[in-house]
Amino acid sequence: MPRKDRSTDRRTFLRYSSIAATGTLVTTAGCLGDGDEGDEGDTGDGTDDGDMSDLDEITITLSQFPDTQDPLDHITGDYFDVYDHIYEPLFDFEPGEGIFPRVVDDWEAQGDGTTELYLRDDVVFHNGDDLTAEDVAWTMNRTLDPDIGVQSPIGTFGLGSIEGAEAVDDTTVAVNYSAAPGLAEFEFGNYARAMNKQWAIDNHDAENGAIAGSSADTFNGTGPYEVVEFTSGEEIVLEAFDDYWGDEPPFETVTFNANNQSSGRVAALEAGETDLTINVLPEDVSTVQNAEGVEIRRVTSFRTVFCPMKNTVEPFDSQEFRQAMNYAVDNEGIVENVLSGFGEPVGQPVAPGINGYNPDIEPYEQDVAMAESLVEESGYGGAEITLTAPQGRYLNDAQVAETAADQIDQLSNVSCEANIVEFPVVSDENSAGVEPENIEHPFYMIGWGTITGDADYGTQGFFTIPDNPSRTFDDEELSQAILESQQMEDPEERTQQLQEVMELAHEKAPWLFLHVQESIYGVNEQIQWEPREDETVYIWGMS
Amino acid sequence: MSMGKFLFRRTLQGVFVIWGVVTALFGMRAVSPGDPATLMLGQGATRNLIERVREEEGLNEPIYVQYFDYVTDLLQGDLGYSWRSEREVEAMVIERIPATIELAVAATVIAILIAIPLGVISATRRDQPADYGATLFSLLGISTPNFWLGLMLVLVLGVWYGIPYPSLGISSDLSVRFGIGFIDLPTGRRGAGFVEGLMAIVRDGSFDELLTWLRHVTLPAITLGTYFTALITRLTRSGMIDEIGKAYVTATEAKGLPGVLIRYKHVLRNTMIPIVTVLGLQMGTLMGGAVITETVFNWPGLGLRLIDALSIRDWPLMQGIILFVALMFVVINIVVDALYTYLDPRVSVE
Amino acid sequence: MISNRVKSNLRQTFRNSLLPKVGVLLLATIVLMAVFAPVLATHDPTRTGYFHENGGPYPPPGFDYTTTVAQGGEIGEVRITATSEHLLGTNTVGQDVYSRFLYGARVSLLVGLFGVSLALVIGVPFGLVAGYYGGRVDDGLMRLADVMLAFPSLVLALALIGVFGQQPIRIPDPIVMGSEYLDLGIASGMPESIPIPGSVTVVVALVTWVWFARVSRGEALSLRNEEYVKAAKSMGEHNGAILLKHVLPNSVTPIIVLATIQIAVIILIEASLAYLGFSGTTLSWGYEIERGQDVLRTRPWVSMLPGIGIVLSVISVNLLGDWFRDALDPNIEGSERGA
Repeated sequence: MPRKDRSTDRRTFLRYSSIAATGTLVTTAGCLGDGDEGDEGDTGDGTDDGDMSDLDEITITLSQFPDTQDPLDHITGDYFDVYDHIYEPLFDFEPGEGIFPRVVDDWEAQGDGTTELYLRDDVVFHNGDDLTAEDVAWTMNRTLDPDIGVQSPIGTFGLGSIEGAEAVDDTTVAVNYSAAPGLAEFEFGNYARAMNKQWAIDNHDAENGAIAGSSADTFNGTGPYEVVEFTSGEEIVLEAFDDYWGDEPPFETVTFNANNQSSGRVAALEAGETDLTINVLPEDVSTVQNAEGVEIRRVTSFRTVFCPMKNTVEPFDSQEFRQAMNYAVDNEGIVENVLSGFGEPVGQPVAPGINGYNPDIEPYEQDVAMAESLVEESGYGGAEITLTAPQGRYLNDAQVAETAADQIDQLSNVSCEANIVEFPVVSDENSAGVEPENIEHPFYMIGWGTITGDADYGTQGFFTIPDNPSRTFDDEELSQAILESQQMEDPEERTQQLQEVMELAHEKAPWLFLHVQESIYGVNEQIQWEPREDETVYIWGMS
Repeated sequence: MSMGKFLFRRTLQGVFVIWGVVTALFGMRAVSPGDPATLMLGQGATRNLIERVREEEGLNEPIYVQYFDYVTDLLQGDLGYSWRSEREVEAMVIERIPATIELAVAATVIAILIAIPLGVISATRRDQPADYGATLFSLLGISTPNFWLGLMLVLVLGVWYGIPYPSLGISSDLSVRFGIGFIDLPTGRRGAGFVEGLMAIVRDGSFDELLTWLRHVTLPAITLGTYFTALITRLTRSGMIDEIGKAYVTATEAKGLPGVLIRYKHVLRNTMIPIVTVLGLQMGTLMGGAVITETVFNWPGLGLRLIDALSIRDWPLMQGIILFVALMFVVINIVVDALYTYLDPRVSVE
Repeated sequence: MISNRVKSNLRQTFRNSLLPKVGVLLLATIVLMAVFAPVLATHDPTRTGYFHENGGPYPPPGFDYTTTVAQGGEIGEVRITATSEHLLGTNTVGQDVYSRFLYGARVSLLVGLFGVSLALVIGVPFGLVAGYYGGRVDDGLMRLADVMLAFPSLVLALALIGVFGQQPIRIPDPIVMGSEYLDLGIASGMPESIPIPGSVTVVVALVTWVWFARVSRGEALSLRNEEYVKAAKSMGEHNGAILLKHVLPNSVTPIIVLATIQIAVIILIEASLAYLGFSGTTLSWGYEIERGQDVLRTRPWVSMLPGIGIVLSVISVNLLGDWFRDALDPNIEGSERGA
């Protein structure tokens, strides 16, 4: 597989750990999979035949089965886990490192808000059509241009500053954007896929104008796997695609299914019904560890969990009050007890490892006296607030919210209770903006995976003011700082500016900062694979 | 009134009820919070796109126009598209029907197989230990929420199962406590359904698929069926006691017919009437129970899909599923009414 | 109102059989538990963070367990043992299971009582008027009832939650407030008010009122032909006055029986909605079962006790209903149950 400079930095490396079957305290830096490969840790290439497992078929159990068939319809990690194998990403993306060639062989910024992408010429779709630059341009434009027939609605969160794409010749696509090239690279590096334009229009532009269906024919990508069986809501079976341009994938057949209960996923793993399952609860870790033939793999994710406080309504318009919330909550304790240590407290919007993360910022430490006096200073003593939180979305989310609400409630001058709701309620609130009349839940819990690996993605949607009606915080200074960073061409200067944004955010406390969670996987021991910080599961990274 | 006329009138009533259900569902969707276009598109959709979708979907039209469009579409058999998956709701409902019917039928079969003998025993051995046992069982069965029952079955049977299959035992905290292995009971419906299982036997004489299905359906069916078992036990018991006291039973006994035969033929037949009626009325409970049971066991039926639709507020899908359930309810109750007249010749269609 | 004959029937049935006695005793216990929850509880039921020093919730005696914790990059196993501080252990957020069990009874009963009262307030007048006047009003009600009955109660409740949201309301606790004046030996820090699921209370009433409407309609329908009602009418009494003075009092018995049965139904619906995560509040037996589901194998006590609470309260209410039904034989239809 063509990858440049796959050097994983040591710090990232140290976070992986393998667990011996005995379950005693064993940690080996850089030791992955079976734990006998020394420091190489390069399980991604799948070229080393000696390490190949005997598995030919594997099953992967997700927590949520994709309920859309369009790979670019919703931004949900579980969906990408399935569809990236069918509709492969145009670039290989390495968390914290950047993008590497894949379908796009090479690329060059033209210096005028345009980057040209040069495609491989040997890529074919599962239905036999050749991939052309026109397909790539069309796939990008369908998320941007509402006049294209088969619409994709991922919009602003999907492609950020990208404004459009155009086929220059058969293998060259020109992408236009409004931000600095470095930032745009993060954006198309993540969300660029290739779909078959003619196929999509012929088969799916009828009355509904959407890619939807219930048979294996609903899918047609260029990825290493093609769909052979699809049972909506239950199961999708993939087989290695014979005409794939790249390396043969490690397993001939891959089945994806889902179970929204952690206990059910773990049970399936133990019973041998599945080989890999995501989001194992901390409480189930020892069960998996003690089971035969399976083990836990984990990594600290790029996902931060936090509670925005909309500062256009009382009492959250007071910076002292917002800081008081941060001092009231014991992040350390929550991570230790509610997450059994499978997380890390943070005091800024993004996770360690993200470009722009500021290592000098310490998380807020619980200080009840300080919190109480800040509340007094704010003039909102006696305030009654509600923390609205989803359930089953993030690691022990409702439990975290209940604990945080109770800790705030323990302040002598604030009372707080948790309101546990379905996810769309908080998701609606997150896009409702800051107009007081649109705000129903000014204080709510949400999680954000900065999957581009760049702090811009973790902040701009929340804090910038112009053209951003769904921001959650109204502050000129913070907004300005982010906008400035977007125009900086020098990567180092930009990183530094982003770190200043983090400092500003820590101080202004637009959120109740909580933690970064760990991704915990239960895996068949025979599968060699290291989990990724961006929560994706790539079969081509296994062997 | 003739049977034909009776059915015609009941059908007309049924149509009215369905229209009412349709209107109620439309009303609920109209007043529920959340902008449909935003819900449809998910986070990150641009204002432009949202406005465009509002226009396309007719969401900017006055409410009565939207209602008229909705009813017109339904009359043409068009349930619309799921907001989330953008698939036809009709297909999404139909593909989930078999799993729910399998579960409901399995639960009913279990209920009848256990409850009628239990009720008969209870009625014929009144105030004996067996009767007390049956009464206690039915009291518990009626009062236990089935989601808790399902969990406790998994917990308790999971532990017990460990005894005969120690090699499959998987050590866990519980096994440490009880000193035995803990094997996981299968949850969810995997692979073939009942019909496919039967076909596999015909096709290649393999019972494997049917057995797999049975293994998976047993616990959910017990969970869903317990309430009905309890209910039918009660009904059978009280019905039998009423009937046994009646004159014709004593008369047949005098003619020397064996007691057992009387019990099953005459008495039971008359006892069946209220049972069938109640089962018809309890269709709703069965569906409500299926929602919960499917959620507990990750059983891919209509109930699970309804909960999924609810938690992402996919109204067209919710409406489609609820409408289907209401339709079933209406049809079954017409059938039950007709059956009623058949079972009990004394009742004329009125 | 309730006639002497009814009262003596009730007494007689109570004396002659065991089950009503069990029911009354059980219900009395649960009601006392609910009312005096702040006195009996050892901890504030909403206070989180009672964890073992090794992390993880306290088990009840006999449920000691080994679990995994992560520290930095390492994972280790630790042993968690029971404590006398928390007799029945703590749950996954470190709340006292025993105290939550007591308060859970309070929430269940309050939702049951409020829900049934609201259903009575909507259903009874509607039914009485429809039955008494007959004609279009009556037809309308009966058709509406047909439509409502075509929805499974739980499904209708779920759809209505989609409309009404998941808003909690706070109910002040007179016992805790009163303890300022009277020493009841309440542990310090008991909450002065507890949240109950407000939307759920409204929703269960909207789901069950139609049963009350049907029963009171039936009563009014037969009572309007009674001699004394006719007499009152011929004497020029107002229809409203007749409904209040003659029809309502004579319909009370079957309505009480129905109300008893419906409380059990409502308790089950509330528990189901909370279990499915649609009630908005967390202080509920149903929610506690949900909370324990994902950790069923490793922390089984979390869902065990609340389930027993639900079963016992539903049994006690059902036994009471059976007793009333046996004694009064009002011949009302069975209704659907919640779960």
